[in-house]
Amino acid sequence: MAEAPILALEGITKRFPGVLANDHIDFDLMPGEVHALLGENGAGKSTLMNILYGLYTPDEGRILLHGNPIDLGSTKAAIEHGIGMVHQHFMLIPVMTVAENIVLASEPRHAGVMLDYSAADRRVTELSTRYGLAVDPDARIDRITVGQQQRVEILKALYRGAEILVLDEPTAVLTPQEAQELFEIIRSLKEQGKSIIFISHKLHEVLEIADRITTLRRGKIVGTVPAAGATEEGLARMMVGREVLLRIDKTVPKPGEPLLEVEDLVVYDDRGLESVRGVTFTVHGGEIVGLAGVDANGQAELIDALTGLRHASSGRVVLDGREITHATARDVLDSGMGHIPEDRHRRGLVLPFSLTENLGLHAYRQEPNSRFGFLNLGKMLDRARRLLAEFDVRGGTPDTPAGALSGGNQQKVVLAREIDSEPKVLIAAQPTRGLDVGAIEFVHRRLVEQRDAGRAVFLISLELEEILSLSDRILVIFEGQIVQEFPPTATEEELGLAMTGGKRDAA
Amino acid sequence: MTALTGRIGHIDWRGPKVVGIVGIALGVLAFWIVLPPVTTRSPLLSILIGILAIFAGIWSVSRDEKRIGFGAVAAGLAGIFFGVLATYSSTTNLSAVVVWSSLIAATLRYATPLIYAAIGGLYCERSGVVNVALEGMLLTGAFFGIWTIIWAHSWAGSWAWVIGLTGAALAGMALATIHAVWSISLKVDQIITGTALNFLALGITGYIFIDKYGSSGTPGNITDYGIPDIHLNFLQNWYFIGPILGQLNLMIWLSWVLLIGTYFFVFRTPYGLRLRSVGEHPRAADTVGISVYKVRYVAVIASGGIAALGGAYLSIGFVHSFNENMTQGIGFIGLAALVFGKWRPMMTYAATLLFGFCSALADRLPTAYGDQWGTLFQALPYVLTIIAVAGLIGRSVGPAAAGRPYDKQ
Amino acid sequence: MSDELLSEEFEETPTPTGPLGGSSPQQNFVSRYGSKAGGALGPVITTIFAFLMAGIAVAVVGKNPLKVYRSIFDGTGLNFFAHFGSYSIRLPFSTQHVWFWWDTSSIAAMNLQQTLLITTPIILTAVALGFAFRCGLFNIGGQGQYLVGAYFSVWIGTSFVNLNPFLHVLACLVIGSLAGAFYAGIAGLLKATVGAHEVITTIMLNWTAIWVGEWLFGQQGPLQNTSQPAIPISNTIADGAKLPIFWGPKLLQGLSIGIFISVGMLVVYWVVINRTTLGFEVRAVGFNPEAARYGGVSVARNYFLAMAISGLFAGLAGALDITGWEYQIGQLDIPVSQVGFIGLAAALLGRNTAVGIGFASLLFGALINGTSGRQLDPSVFSPDLAGNLTTIIQGLVILFVGLNLTTLVSGGVFRRRRRAT
Repeated sequence: MAEAPILALEGITKRFPGVLANDHIDFDLMPGEVHALLGENGAGKSTLMNILYGLYTPDEGRILLHGNPIDLGSTKAAIEHGIGMVHQHFMLIPVMTVAENIVLASEPRHAGVMLDYSAADRRVTELSTRYGLAVDPDARIDRITVGQQQRVEILKALYRGAEILVLDEPTAVLTPQEAQELFEIIRSLKEQGKSIIFISHKLHEVLEIADRITTLRRGKIVGTVPAAGATEEGLARMMVGREVLLRIDKTVPKPGEPLLEVEDLVVYDDRGLESVRGVTFTVHGGEIVGLAGVDANGQAELIDALTGLRHASSGRVVLDGREITHATARDVLDSGMGHIPEDRHRRGLVLPFSLTENLGLHAYRQEPNSRFGFLNLGKMLDRARRLLAEFDVRGGTPDTPAGALSGGNQQKVVLAREIDSEPKVLIAAQPTRGLDVGAIEFVHRRLVEQRDAGRAVFLISLELEEILSLSDRILVIFEGQIVQEFPPTATEEELGLAMTGGKRDAA
Repeated sequence: MTALTGRIGHIDWRGPKVVGIVGIALGVLAFWIVLPPVTTRSPLLSILIGILAIFAGIWSVSRDEKRIGFGAVAAGLAGIFFGVLATYSSTTNLSAVVVWSSLIAATLRYATPLIYAAIGGLYCERSGVVNVALEGMLLTGAFFGIWTIIWAHSWAGSWAWVIGLTGAALAGMALATIHAVWSISLKVDQIITGTALNFLALGITGYIFIDKYGSSGTPGNITDYGIPDIHLNFLQNWYFIGPILGQLNLMIWLSWVLLIGTYFFVFRTPYGLRLRSVGEHPRAADTVGISVYKVRYVAVIASGGIAALGGAYLSIGFVHSFNENMTQGIGFIGLAALVFGKWRPMMTYAATLLFGFCSALADRLPTAYGDQWGTLFQALPYVLTIIAVAGLIGRSVGPAAAGRPYDKQ
Repeated sequence: MSDELLSEEFEETPTPTGPLGGSSPQQNFVSRYGSKAGGALGPVITTIFAFLMAGIAVAVVGKNPLKVYRSIFDGTGLNFFAHFGSYSIRLPFSTQHVWFWWDTSSIAAMNLQQTLLITTPIILTAVALGFAFRCGLFNIGGQGQYLVGAYFSVWIGTSFVNLNPFLHVLACLVIGSLAGAFYAGIAGLLKATVGAHEVITTIMLNWTAIWVGEWLFGQQGPLQNTSQPAIPISNTIADGAKLPIFWGPKLLQGLSIGIFISVGMLVVYWVVINRTTLGFEVRAVGFNPEAARYGGVSVARNYFLAMAISGLFAGLAGALDITGWEYQIGQLDIPVSQVGFIGLAAALLGRNTAVGIGFASLLFGALINGTSGRQLDPSVFSPDLAGNLTTIIQGLVILFVGLNLTTLVSGGVFRRRRRAT
């Protein structure tokens, strides 16, 4: 590591209203190195990389390329300086071909004004053979797999002459096989002299691929360590800043009757691919069952099918003895399902609606909230007052629009609504995403309360610590199948292995 | 070019696609044979050919070529229906209506303002900005075209039409600039802005028209110095082609240039690729350094200029006068053609020809069959477009980002 | 199906959820044009601005804008309310006379009757737009639904001449409304089932309605009048199909009770939107279809219902125009009719609230009446010019009402913004 860094960030600070997203960050990248940036969601990784890609301007600090300060006012400038980014959400145009996507904005031409399609194809093929990224230049983006799309994204950056590649959570959408293929690609890029910043919050990946690891916590650098010799435990401590992760006091579960029974459920996703492939499990009253898994392994489709938002192609869903496989969303809710959806802004709340209206989003059809199709606003208001007090929602009166509340209070509103309907089964999807510690604790306590009240709680989370601290039983989903069941005493390593498809036949 | 030749090189002559297209052709044939000059008088032949078309359609539907297959079935049914209908009509009446060369010439005349409107709309919507103000842009072009040509006539003489066209385009671009500022910078709903602009164009052109020309209307001598017709004397005596192409307005020829130019621009140049990328996925375009706002501004303003040329053709190339609200929905048929043609230049052109033919037919039908039969043909473009967006003949889906303001973050 | 339906409603970009969460993802056009924030101030400023701009246009042709506006105002009959006195009024539908503040038989009164006659359908087409708008749908097809309502109303009104008058007029209104509902329902159904954009379909349906009307009432058309084959106009509806006139002379187009039906519908609109479960669902879908779906609301069903109900109001507008005012349809009037679009302007200006729509409709009704050839003195200002002036004002109102004027003033929109996602 004697040579000079190809890229250095010095004292980068970025403030957003109310938040210090990046606090005097120093970061450097050596030529031909894979430098991982590790941190929890919201630690400030994406902000930092957006600064590097010219999307944000830092409030303080400077960026040095080969030791010279540069000004990255736009993405164009970043590209010209040889910085390429592979976004977590691919920036590809679905109806265009691979070649068109790759050459966009720096197209080969003939006769000065015409786009030279054959040259484009040639360049793409050339690049893809050189770096071992097999793609068909003439295929349309919406007809190729996610893994191939990611290769196109990488090619896009290479085509623009990127020397520095930023990969933002690249494995989030990949299957384990695809992830391994990606690691091969990264190694080959490294051999060819490219420098790579690898952003992730997955410890084992970082250990596998990185040369050095920098950990970010709440906008600050915690430390940089060489990957050789680092351990998952040590990194986890740096990442979350505490030895013992969130633990909640809870009593021994007293499982009762099975309230949610799922048998051999098969569900297709929007693209018509089999996304839930024969899932069977049961959740009893009085227990919390956690579903762990890497994102996009069928969780979303499973929840949709359970709650009547998506048609299950075969199998059965039984709620307290009543079959609801083909019921509408409304019927499912009416028969005693509570659902805390994954994204409270898009799915959980109608932001311009008042808190009263949001709290009444299911109950508006039931007496006394309405009668003969007419709303009883007085009763709805009474109910809202009671729930806002009961769930300690701060920052608004019943008339405040939900959009004006903080994230934690918004989630409390969703929680209040779902719990007040006294569901037999409560489905909680990522119930603490983006919340601060206080709000997380509140949500967790409420979920445990529901369990203790004899309800069946089905928790879906991408955060292993959440799963581990809350669940009485843990199911692991991988590629649309429940691959293994664990007791709450399982370790992160065991779960992680199952989540990535390892040891599938064990247990 | 490789893609094009590749496509042609791989035609499977017994594939469902080809059979479907043959089916559509048969459907048309079923109707054509009962019309002059063939004028078969027995409905039987029409029915037979129509049934063949339907079978071809069903066959290709069963081979998963649904769009073209259903098209062939529809063409077959329509061929039988109209074929049988025509055999009940007298030969004299048919001959009075179906004079192919003049029908085609009229189709071209009616289609031309539609092409300008639709191509204008194509640029705008391909960039991701919905344009329901085509009607207003057309009307603006029509009025400002005639206003500037009259003004220029005194000093520019027979070249006044150049000034007229320039004036029309500039006025259309001015109107489109409002659309651009509102839709792109101010992020106001594009449909509401478009609706407002239609009102504004209607009001402003009507206001100035009344103020300038009042009850007497525009001068009658514009015919003498309007946009010239192109006389191709060597063609005059050619059979069939002569009457059609021999004397067409310059703007009709220009519309073909515009059409082919647009095709190449949108699908064969880097700028077209960028235009399409902005309309499909502005954020992706932004991340590779394309200025979404700039592309959209240019596209929307160009759209206004092009649509206005269609209006100018109408007022100073075709009817040589102006009336309040003279476009009477032509801009909306242009929009319909764009939707019907799935935002693709050649298919849009085919749609404008089809809609133009509807108008031409509507014009000629009354000569033999009374006023009423033409009127319903005027509604046909709109009904067909509803069917197209409903997906009955191949779902029509526009650019993905159309209608959404882009928020640079 | 519903997934496909919803996908077009949303940005692909994930919404902010973290502590960095900035802008609201639900800043769609429904909240922009339907919010009560800022109250009446924005629309009032917009209106004043539009009149100022139009005043410039008046000055450009060498007339005094103040004089012209004064003359237009006098023609609207709104000055009726300014003259207090001691008069008597006959109670409608009786011979009883009672004391009243205003002179109900003055010129101003007659002008006001005209204004209110014109306002009647505008209120309904505005409500039609507003209802769909609240569900997140832009029903630009109010014009077509209005026309279809009018066609059916004329058809019923000119047929069944021996029907009981009450039943006859009721049938005209009900069938006209249902026709409008059915017509808008086509667009609603296509939106709900295949996701066809309602703006495209309703524009196409508008023009279809116009040309079908030209065919129906044109020469040799199926509904052309039976006595004068050279005139492309329908028969006059039977007397029994006419709405009672309660104010003003019957022969000079006095005011029918249609205005009460119209205002009544404004109340119905308010109640349905704000006080019923249907309105609750419609609003939830309009603001955030995805959240509504998660709440068990069928988005597709609401799209269809909202369009159909919207068309019901627009169809009723057409039926009221026939039974309370026009009594017949002329072929030439069909393509120039603008009632649906004026309703659109009124709904946007009134921010889709019931009260706002009421006032905005009255404004446009008054403006149209005041600038009509019948009311405006040509020596002050040519009615032909004034008619176009009205159109310009409508355009300006629609153009500017969507702007948040304060952000415009501060120039915030043009500044480059860099916000966190």
